[in-house]
Amino acid sequence: MRNKKLVNYAKYGYLFSIPFILTFLIFTLYPIVYTFLIGFTDLSGAGNTTWHLITSKDAVGGPKGLFDNFIAVLTNGSFQKAFSNTVIIWTINFVPQLGFALLFTAWFTDRRSKVKGSGIFKILFYMPNIITAATVAILFNVLFGYPKGAVNDIIIGFSKLFGVQKELMQSDPKAWELAVMFDFNNNAWALKLIVAFIQFYQWYGYTMVNLVAGVIGISPEIFEAAEIDGANRVQTFFRVTLPCIRQILLFVLVTSLIGGLNMFDVPQLYADEKRANGAIMTLNMFVRSQGLDNRYLYNKAAAASVIMFIVIVALSAIIFFILRDKDEAKLKKLRKQELKALKKGM
Amino acid sequence: MKKVIASVLSVAMVAAFAAGCTTTETTKGGDDATTAATEGDQTDASGDDGSDASEEDIPTYGSGDKVINLWSFTVEIPNMVAKYIELNPEFGEEYTVKCTITATDGGAYQTALDAALAAGGDSAPDMYAAEAAFILKYSQGDMAQYAATYKDLGIDVDTKTAEAEIAPYTIDIGSRNGEVVALGYQATGGAMIYRASIAEAVFGTSDAAEIEKIVGAGSGNWDKFWEAAATLKENGYAVVSGADDMWNVCEKSATQAWLNGDEVVIAPEREAFLDIAKKLKDEGLSNDTGSWSEAWYADMADSNVFCFFGPAWLINYVMIGNCGGTAAGEGSYGDWRVCAPPVGFFWGGTWVLANKDTDMAEGVAKIIEWITLDTSDTGLQYLWANDQMGNGAKDTVASGVVMAKSDGTLDFCGGQDIFPAFIAGNANASGKAMTQYDESINTYFKDAATQYANGEIDRDAAIEQFTQNVKDAFAF
Repeated sequence: MRNKKLVNYAKYGYLFSIPFILTFLIFTLYPIVYTFLIGFTDLSGAGNTTWHLITSKDAVGGPKGLFDNFIAVLTNGSFQKAFSNTVIIWTINFVPQLGFALLFTAWFTDRRSKVKGSGIFKILFYMPNIITAATVAILFNVLFGYPKGAVNDIIIGFSKLFGVQKELMQSDPKAWELAVMFDFNNNAWALKLIVAFIQFYQWYGYTMVNLVAGVIGISPEIFEAAEIDGANRVQTFFRVTLPCIRQILLFVLVTSLIGGLNMFDVPQLYADEKRANGAIMTLNMFVRSQGLDNRYLYNKAAAASVIMFIVIVALSAIIFFILRDKDEAKLKKLRKQELKALKKGM
Repeated sequence: MKKVIASVLSVAMVAAFAAGCTTTETTKGGDDATTAATEGDQTDASGDDGSDASEEDIPTYGSGDKVINLWSFTVEIPNMVAKYIELNPEFGEEYTVKCTITATDGGAYQTALDAALAAGGDSAPDMYAAEAAFILKYSQGDMAQYAATYKDLGIDVDTKTAEAEIAPYTIDIGSRNGEVVALGYQATGGAMIYRASIAEAVFGTSDAAEIEKIVGAGSGNWDKFWEAAATLKENGYAVVSGADDMWNVCEKSATQAWLNGDEVVIAPEREAFLDIAKKLKDEGLSNDTGSWSEAWYADMADSNVFCFFGPAWLINYVMIGNCGGTAAGEGSYGDWRVCAPPVGFFWGGTWVLANKDTDMAEGVAKIIEWITLDTSDTGLQYLWANDQMGNGAKDTVASGVVMAKSDGTLDFCGGQDIFPAFIAGNANASGKAMTQYDESINTYFKDAATQYANGEIDRDAAIEQFTQNVKDAFAF
């Protein structure tokens, strides 16, 4: 009776994971599958729940090609605009975000000069991430308001100080104020930059914390070795630190990419998808406006979501490929070749 | 031992998980019991009886067992219900009215209401409100299938509308295939609301008839108005607060709807707004505010702004609260006058609908009839037109009978009788130039006009951009 002592705990593991798996199946997997399905149907119209496959002859407006919804979305000017907006806003936000995060990481983890109160700074930099997006978006909207807003007040103050358009200022102060103020919230590029800045401001702290964690995980011996070999700080950072946190960088890149392509709350609350010719309409805002506004085109919204899904998967795959461990990949290849050779030899 | 602990824990977890699915039902039953018990003791019908902590955010009126769910985008209709229950306590003993209020910002109200109507069930709205910008969707358009006809509610609507002399456009907009499903209580003909002191200072008179001549009232064009605007500017005044003020006139004076089938149509009255916005901006004739912004509200107090365009409700809901005072001499209170606008228009209005699946048809019918068709001195419309709702305001209402016996003198307008000017504006009201998607399409057009006025794009590009955006959004 040897088995009596050996209790198999694996089944409890399964038991404990049931709640998660059930919730996942019902609230995540099923909606995803359903979205894929809806993309190929004629489902639209407020409150409507009956649908037909778009190729069937019962479909509203007659049978169409299987990918009709997808083609309609891809050729929709607003979708194209939303796509480029999303990429532009994400890029403007991510490049400085990663840059600043790396810079702060380098400072806070520097072994030779300890930054005083680095703990406090880490917390302060992380703070914006805790505030809800809604609050930040509305706060910035008020700050950049026109003709009443804090930023415009500052502009007026400086214009007065430097005597911009002095004659107009003396003859008609009200007209002068309107002349020097800037309507940020109706200018396409101002809107994009502000939204990108909010995203940067909210997320650079989070990225930094991730990177710092990665650097702390590096064995100090490697740094010591670099020091003994006479590497200076810049060399250490680029030749030792960066390669060692590649996995963390990959994580940061992929999560930020997914988050960036899903960007919704800040631009939606800052100004809706209609403002300044759709200057800050992101892909998700497009999906919402197609599916939950106006004509309730659920099928088109679903098709757009599926396209987003494919784009995210493709881009993530590319990043994984670029940042893969090249040495390990080479080793794997070699091993495979050896195996092949062995097989051939046999 | 370990095995025992593990199994106990697992069982506890599974039990908790299973319980999670059923708690709502058990607590609901318990809540109902307690609610019924506490409410049975209550006699007053105040809004904050707060018998149910989890629903403290939902204003409820009455204490009866039968629950009516009311959806609205302002507190206006909930306040009416409160008044109705105050006047008819027996209704409050029979029914409880739960009010869900969602602002229309960014289409939030429509999205939430559509979802609630489509979901159905006990918590579905029994009675709901719709604003002029989207009433057609609920009375004749995509969501019309949920609206009950007033006849089905048991209201003798044909006789009563004739007796009350309800404005015909109100009935047209609220009818589906000739059957009334929605009626409003206001009449929303527009007028020009101007500052007497500024008129006195610039034009030497504040008399409505004289000002009408100066701005070219009823002329159907803006020529005289621009002359007046130039004079005002020379004296340091802005003719309007912002371009949005004039947009309401342009939009609702149009004779063609935005859509003709799948085709986007820009009525000439609306296209004229592009030039109006540009002129206001280029010549600095306004304060360049946007409607419903802080700066716009601020201009209603003692500011340099000469006039606003709006129906009587603009005075009631917006201007009185933002004029910076509550008696003559404080802020701009008492300094406003009303006269006919250069171009006739109407703006807004709220219609009341009932869900065809409601179990409370009788109760809903009572409220709806009181709001939309009761012409007696205790009917909503009479109270509404004669400042008896306690908000210090007088509104023009849909019933001609009520208007005939109401008095429109208002302290906010220096004792002027405001009704004649607004009633004259009612002639411009019609549902012919409306579509069910007006709220969205208007936003696209105003955005294009702003881009043009700000010099970002030229006029043709503005029209092109607007047309394309609408086509894309609606997937035409």
